[in-house]
Amino acid sequence: MTPPDAVAARAASPVAAPDALAADGSAPHLHPSAKGPAATARKYYKIFRASLVERMTYRGDFLFGTILRFLPLVTTILLWQAIYKGVPGGEMAGFRYREMIAYLLLTNISRMFSSMPGLAGGIARDIRDGTLKRYMIQPVDLIGYLLSYRAAHKVAYIVTSFIPYALLFFVCRSYFDGFPDGWTLAAYAVSLILSFLVGFYFETCVGMVGFWFLEVTSVLYIVMTLNFFISGHMLPLDLLPQPWSGLLKALPFQYMAYFPAVVFLGKVKGSALAFHLALELVWAVAFMVLARGLYRLGLRRYSAYGG
Amino acid sequence: MTTIGGLARYLRLLGHLARYTLSRELAFRGNFLVKVSVEVLWLGILAAFYRTVFARTQMVAGWNEDQYFFFVGCFFALNGLIETFFLENCNDFAELVRTGDLDFLLLRPIDEQFLITCRRIDWGTGPNVIMGAAVMVASLVHMGWHFDALKFAAFCATFACGVVIAYAFMLMLTALSVWMVRNQSLMEMWWLFTSLARYPKEIFNGTWAAPLGRFFTFFVPILLVVNVPAGLVVHTLDPGMVGFTLVATVALFWVSRRFFRHALRSYRSASS
Amino acid sequence: MAIIEAEGLTKTYRVFQKKEGLLGAVRGLYRREYKEVRAVDGVSFSIEPGEMVAFLGPNGAGKTSTLKMLSGLIYPTEGRARVLGYVPWERVDAFRRRFALVMGQKNQLWWDLPAADSFQLHKEIYSLPPAEFDRTLAELTELLGVEKLTRQAVRELSLGERMKMELIAALLHRPELLLLDEPTIGLDVVAQVAIQKCLRDYHARRGVTMLLTSHYMRDVEALCSRVLVITHGSLVYDGSLTGLADRFGQTKLIRLEFADGTVPADLARFGEVTRSEGPVADLKVERSRVAEVLGAILDRHAVLDVSVSDPPLEQTIARVFEEGRRTHDAA
Repeated sequence: MTPPDAVAARAASPVAAPDALAADGSAPHLHPSAKGPAATARKYYKIFRASLVERMTYRGDFLFGTILRFLPLVTTILLWQAIYKGVPGGEMAGFRYREMIAYLLLTNISRMFSSMPGLAGGIARDIRDGTLKRYMIQPVDLIGYLLSYRAAHKVAYIVTSFIPYALLFFVCRSYFDGFPDGWTLAAYAVSLILSFLVGFYFETCVGMVGFWFLEVTSVLYIVMTLNFFISGHMLPLDLLPQPWSGLLKALPFQYMAYFPAVVFLGKVKGSALAFHLALELVWAVAFMVLARGLYRLGLRRYSAYGG
Repeated sequence: MTTIGGLARYLRLLGHLARYTLSRELAFRGNFLVKVSVEVLWLGILAAFYRTVFARTQMVAGWNEDQYFFFVGCFFALNGLIETFFLENCNDFAELVRTGDLDFLLLRPIDEQFLITCRRIDWGTGPNVIMGAAVMVASLVHMGWHFDALKFAAFCATFACGVVIAYAFMLMLTALSVWMVRNQSLMEMWWLFTSLARYPKEIFNGTWAAPLGRFFTFFVPILLVVNVPAGLVVHTLDPGMVGFTLVATVALFWVSRRFFRHALRSYRSASS
Repeated sequence: MAIIEAEGLTKTYRVFQKKEGLLGAVRGLYRREYKEVRAVDGVSFSIEPGEMVAFLGPNGAGKTSTLKMLSGLIYPTEGRARVLGYVPWERVDAFRRRFALVMGQKNQLWWDLPAADSFQLHKEIYSLPPAEFDRTLAELTELLGVEKLTRQAVRELSLGERMKMELIAALLHRPELLLLDEPTIGLDVVAQVAIQKCLRDYHARRGVTMLLTSHYMRDVEALCSRVLVITHGSLVYDGSLTGLADRFGQTKLIRLEFADGTVPADLARFGEVTRSEGPVADLKVERSRVAEVLGAILDRHAVLDVSVSDPPLEQTIARVFEEGRRTHDAA
């Protein structure tokens, strides 16, 4: 019994980045000779658009999956309802029942931004298969390319899931105390974008480990399973006893589910909020630097071994 | 051609398949160990979750901590069985349809449903059954359960029924792959199914939840899978429910098989 | 009694038309356009036991679809067929035991396991008696020269070796009918020849009826006496290989060796000069004019050597395909 992310890692048939550099009619046409930021932007925009198109083709999948996706939320709500019935005072670690449900709904939004199914697996596979070689010859930066692709996927997913999610939140509006104020919303938006970056660069780092350790998908699998819990996706990290609560709130995994949710709920305010947003940014940058560093080192090792 | 002879043949075949997949699994020993570790980790996470919850409350939906852990163990074992024998094969099905390699399986003089759903055995999740059983035994010991032969027998029967019902649902989800263009989401759909099966049905309480609970018990009987065997051991044995479970098992197996064959026919009409 | 009887086999299927660009993809979400494709169009033929027949045709001609219908893998849209006395698409167990289908470049063996394990599994699936199985296996591995490779994982074998294993797997249950879909595609010449030899030997030994599809003339020439040519789903020719040249070959190739050591400059008057080297020239001439052209040349020039032959069969076939395409596109 494993959560979908980890399960997707196990299935070893993750969502693969489309072979945009292959001679496929639907691939964007990259012009190796184009230089300059405008041309680069255009190039990545083309990748973005092609990925968006690809995503929309599988509509039957989408509809059925989207509808079914909300079933676990129903049972989760019912479970917590049953749990809270027996809790004296109706409050756990500062979370009342309604807040708990709101929290769990919000972590789904956070995960929508931070989950990267198949990213690390795809990188590891490219390394193993030797298809990575083309990134050494062609002037496309792998990480930049993957970032565009993922951004496109996310946008496509958010756009196509917007109506069902909006409907869901409307139906569940009784769990919320309305919208928070403008500043909180802005902070929330920032935390979500940073959550995307943290998630992306973290998984990229894991994928890059594939240069040294062939079976990195195993590592990934373990990390993803663990992440499901320690990111606060199952329950708010505050519910855990010390020292666990404090420890997990110091790790970057909280940004993938827990942190944006508590920002929205107004549980982190003022200077603490500013501090944690800055910390989130630091983590995103740190992972980015690490990812690029590992990539450079990895490529050097890769070419030394002939792939 | 007696049915007993036929059954023996299928069992023998299953034995061979088990042996080959085991040797293949052991060839990738490291991978195998990782898979098992992840399952252990997952059980640990579940335990951590429920311990955290039960630290703050005595009862959840009428199940106390020991009873609830028995439920969790039962679910873990049952799901482990399904994942070991069937999940990987059903997940492969979409790929077989896509590449057209399904054709090879359709050529063999053997029941296609058997070949498609039992092709491989995923030994990595095998230990889950043992772990789940261990959790069940531990909770029974902790609550001081007295051995009741009738309950034990009923448990075994309804547990087997639960496996068959889960299999039937998995088969129907798999059959859908024929019509879906890309189905990386069989695993996801299975996760959704299990999200219904993994909680006591007593949580379906309230004006809109209760009818939903009845729907998933009597119409789309997912809630029977773990609830009936676990419930009859730690709560009361309800013969009516046991009887209904047996009937539902047979009916579902038949429906799922028909639907699967319909899907195969459709595949064959559409492919070139 | 014919082992295969096909009457008016037709297969049409719908192809979803994908629209270009972002807007098209969005539109594709709520409205889909389909195009009907006739893969096989009223194909009829009959094959006697022991024959070795080739299905020749360009890519997408309907060869594979026809073969799949004969194996029972797909339903025809119209038409009837009987194979080994059964209706193939009813897929009776007894029927499935008596034939085998091999598809080039497709692997039905277990990837990570040695071929020997896949063969054992075959034995179980087809319920083959162990002694007979061992004998057949020994015979086949010897015939193909792969005795030492059966214990190696299939994924470690070369494409040619893998194909040989596929063939063995297909023949283990001693089928009466062997259907092959592009069996030598993607293989190097050595492997192709080995497969062809095996099929020929096996046919000689056991009299197995074989039906193979290919777009390689070499396969056809090496193995089959009878050819069915399919273009765009229709059968355009059913007969012997030599007859093919007669029926479709409109030109002949005249090879001339001139006495004075050079090819005369005006040779192009008589036909298409496809080759001119030193004293030798190849001239492509319409069949009906061969005698006339030959006479005219011999009158004017001293010729040391003359030979008249059919152009390579591949050219003939290519032209048949091309004409078929033109007729089809015009229709």
